[in-house]
Amino acid sequence: MKMTPIQQELQKMGSRISVILLVIGVLLLGFDLWVHRHGETDLEDLLFFPALYGFAAFVMIVIVGIGLRKIVMRGEDYYDD
Amino acid sequence: MTDLTPGLLMILAAGAVPYLSHHVRQVFMLLAIAVSAISLTAGAGVHWVVPVFGQELILHHADNLTLPFGIIFHLAAALNVVYGWHEKRAMEHTAGLAYAGAAIAAVHAGDLITLFIWWEATAVTSVFLILASGTERANKAAMRYLLVQVASGVMLLAGAAFYWRETGAWAFSAMELGSLGTWLIFLAFGIKAAFPFLNGWLQDAYPEATVIGTVMLSAFTTKLAVYAFARGFAGTDYLIWIGATMTAFPVFFAVIENDLRRVLSYSLNNQLGFMIVAIGIGSELAINGAVAHAFAHIIYKALLFMSMGAVLHRVGTAKASELGGLYKSMPYTMVFCIIGAMSISAFPLFSGFVAKAVIMSALGYEGFVVIYMILLAASAGVLEHSGIKIPYFTFFGHDGGHKVKEAPVNMLIAMGIASALCIGIGVLPGVYYQILPYAMDYQPYDGSHVVGQLELLVFAMLAFVVLMRFGFYPPEIRSTVLNSDWFYRRLAPWVLKPIFSFGFAFVRALEAAVIDLTKAIFRLTRQASDHPISGPVIPGPAAIVQVLLLGMVLVVVYAALG
Repeated sequence: MKMTPIQQELQKMGSRISVILLVIGVLLLGFDLWVHRHGETDLEDLLFFPALYGFAAFVMIVIVGIGLRKIVMRGEDYYDD
Repeated sequence: MTDLTPGLLMILAAGAVPYLSHHVRQVFMLLAIAVSAISLTAGAGVHWVVPVFGQELILHHADNLTLPFGIIFHLAAALNVVYGWHEKRAMEHTAGLAYAGAAIAAVHAGDLITLFIWWEATAVTSVFLILASGTERANKAAMRYLLVQVASGVMLLAGAAFYWRETGAWAFSAMELGSLGTWLIFLAFGIKAAFPFLNGWLQDAYPEATVIGTVMLSAFTTKLAVYAFARGFAGTDYLIWIGATMTAFPVFFAVIENDLRRVLSYSLNNQLGFMIVAIGIGSELAINGAVAHAFAHIIYKALLFMSMGAVLHRVGTAKASELGGLYKSMPYTMVFCIIGAMSISAFPLFSGFVAKAVIMSALGYEGFVVIYMILLAASAGVLEHSGIKIPYFTFFGHDGGHKVKEAPVNMLIAMGIASALCIGIGVLPGVYYQILPYAMDYQPYDGSHVVGQLELLVFAMLAFVVLMRFGFYPPEIRSTVLNSDWFYRRLAPWVLKPIFSFGFAFVRALEAAVIDLTKAIFRLTRQASDHPISGPVIPGPAAIVQVLLLGMVLVVVYAALG
């Protein structure tokens, strides 16, 4: 299948943003080692806690969402009599 | 002049709106909002009392809690006028101005009866924003919306009546949950605040309103409820868990919802959760957090709804499955949408960050670790649906093949102002914190906060990248996602229909029996008069004779017994 110019551009953009995010992520982990973070709770003070928690929470939310589809998803015209 | 209830002038002005020509009308509405806002300068105190039936209605009461809501409601109303400037029909403008005015007047109600009046006024004015869509689907949604809103109002009135009997007063001030009256009031507020299982109306109705109608709706009703909780039930423990549930569960629905304006309605629900948690904590810092969050949220939520409205206006749909690749044709809308997305996701230097930080600190200080962690996870959820899903599937994702024009200039101006406010609040939190109810010395920007928050957000975004790359992220599907409105749209009819049809069948059978009996009596009477037991055969005199005979018997018996 041939891609439209917009699709090609989107793909390039996606790769670039992924790399940029990865670089920022690594930099932030570096900061975490350097700055002695103190959060509102003791748990938060653990090394890399926000990074791990953010990643895990995001994945959990998406997985639960996929599971929820099986229970609550209906056809688009479900309520149309 | 300043004694007049803020908002009242807007309601009165709304009456003239349909009779003015297009541009004159828009300018007139901005003027009405500006003049109404003058009343906000009246300062703390009771400014207008009207005696009714030996009681006093406090129509204008102001203090440090009403002021921030008064300011943001006026601001939102003005932004709506600019955003809807292109719309020539008067219906939404009339309803929108009256609706905003009613919400503002409600905030300044000093007693429960005045609150009830404006509470209902917000319902009956705002329903026209949904009706204005003009579709069968919207009409039905509007009626369901109105039923729920009026139910909330009736509960409030009943609650106020019981509360008056319990305490002998109906001033609207801090209440202690426990009596029937206070529970009814609590539930009435809870419906409008879209509590878990009472939330169906929000996701049902908001996305069915018109392009500008949804933006108007997003600002007032639910935040009026937040204000009402802050005044009436600050420090009520139940609110902490109710609020935490509200932050969490809409997040999962938002992942799988296809209509992006409905995704934003789930997101709205989740945001309300943060405010409700803070009100439940009830400390000065927490109430400041709730108000700060409500204020910032009204702006960035309106901004997000505006951007999706602009897309709907141009493309004709706001469904994720149909959209994509609009960054080329609607670049300004895309930038404004991303500013809204970054604000709601609480990126540092955006309004959501400086507002949410106050709530999170209040939670931390009070030692609510579990709730804190739920809210932190919910923050990743906010990033998922409002931060990523909304802009990604609209402007990027794949090429939806839509060749459209950029949004109308008035929409861009409104979105531009909202974006500037989002950034302004984020950059100058010190100025922003001054409008909050309590004075505080709070610094959101320190190394720990900023690094921690960025870590959370960036790694959540990386999770999205990973899920997309490996094909785990669920595709957008045209579908209906069942929500708590299912209970009254499907379950209740399913259970009640057989009961009602049995009841109706029984009543019909009873009716038929009565009719048969009546007919039989008539038939027998006629037969008796046609064929009398004794006397002549001619019907007329025969009947008279019988009546006379019976009459005599009656008199004799009466005399004998008497």
